[in-house]
Amino acid sequence: MVETGLIIYLVIGSITASPFIYSMLFANKYQRNLFSKLFQREQTFLVEFGKDSLQTTKNPIPQRPIHSSGMVMANITIGPSWWQMWLAQIYTIFGGNIKVFDQLLAYARQEVMQRLREQAQADGWDDVLNVRIETSAIMQKTGGSKNNKTGTMELFAYGTGIK
Amino acid sequence: MQANQIMLSNIETIPGSTIIQSLGVVSGSTVRAKHIGKDILAGFKNIIGGELKAYTELLQEARAEAMSRMVIDAGQRGANAVVNVRFATSSVAGGAAELFAYGTAVIVE
Repeated sequence: MVETGLIIYLVIGSITASPFIYSMLFANKYQRNLFSKLFQREQTFLVEFGKDSLQTTKNPIPQRPIHSSGMVMANITIGPSWWQMWLAQIYTIFGGNIKVFDQLLAYARQEVMQRLREQAQADGWDDVLNVRIETSAIMQKTGGSKNNKTGTMELFAYGTGIK
Repeated sequence: MQANQIMLSNIETIPGSTIIQSLGVVSGSTVRAKHIGKDILAGFKNIIGGELKAYTELLQEARAEAMSRMVIDAGQRGANAVVNVRFATSSVAGGAAELFAYGTAVIVE
C-alpha cells in the first residue's frame, strides 16, 4: 500500500519532470549547434558576396549614385528553453548578468541580420541602408497560466535596399 | 493595382529621387493570433528553446498585411512612395499580437 502509493507518485513525478530534464540535457547542445550553423552561413555568405551589405547610415559609404531602392525585412521569434527560464529565475534573485539569455539574444540578433543579408541578396540589392533592429516581447500570457511562454521574443530587422 | 508601383523606404527620402509633395501620415495595422494547435506545438518546442517557426511565420504574414494596408492607404491619397516607414509591435492579449506600420506618403519624381 505504501509501495503502490510510492510507485504512482514516482510515475506521475517522472512524467511531469521528463520534459524539464530533457530540456536540461539537450537544450544547450541544440542551441550551440544552431550557433555554429549560423557562423558557417555567415562565413560562406561573406566569401560569396564579398562584403557585409548592412549599413546603419542613411547614405552609402563610400558615396555613390543610387538607381533604385526598396524595403527589406527579416524576422525571427525565439524562446528560451524551460531550463534556461528556470536558471534565469534563480539569477534574478542575485541580480547581475544573466548569461543564458545573453547567448540566446546574441544568437537571435545575428541570425536576423544574416537573414536580412540573404533577403537583400535574393531581392538583388547591393547594400542595405539605415538598418534598424527592433526587439519586442510577444505572446505574453495573461493571468496565472502555467503554460509559460513569457520568454518569447521577436527580433525584427529592416532597412532600405539600394543598387 | 497601384500598390505595386508604390516605393517604400525607411530613410527620409527615396534614394535617387526628389520629393515634391507630402500627403501626410499613412498607417496600417492588424491584430493576429495563431491556431491553438500551433500554439501548443510551439509550447513543446519551447522545451529546448530556439526559434519558434510558427510565430515567425505568423508575424511575417501579419506584418505583410499591415504594410499592404498602409500601401493601399497611400495609394488612395495618390502617393507614389512612402518614406520613413516604421514598425511597432505590441501584444494586446494572450496569444495575439498587434503589428502596426506607418510612414509618410509622398509624391516623388
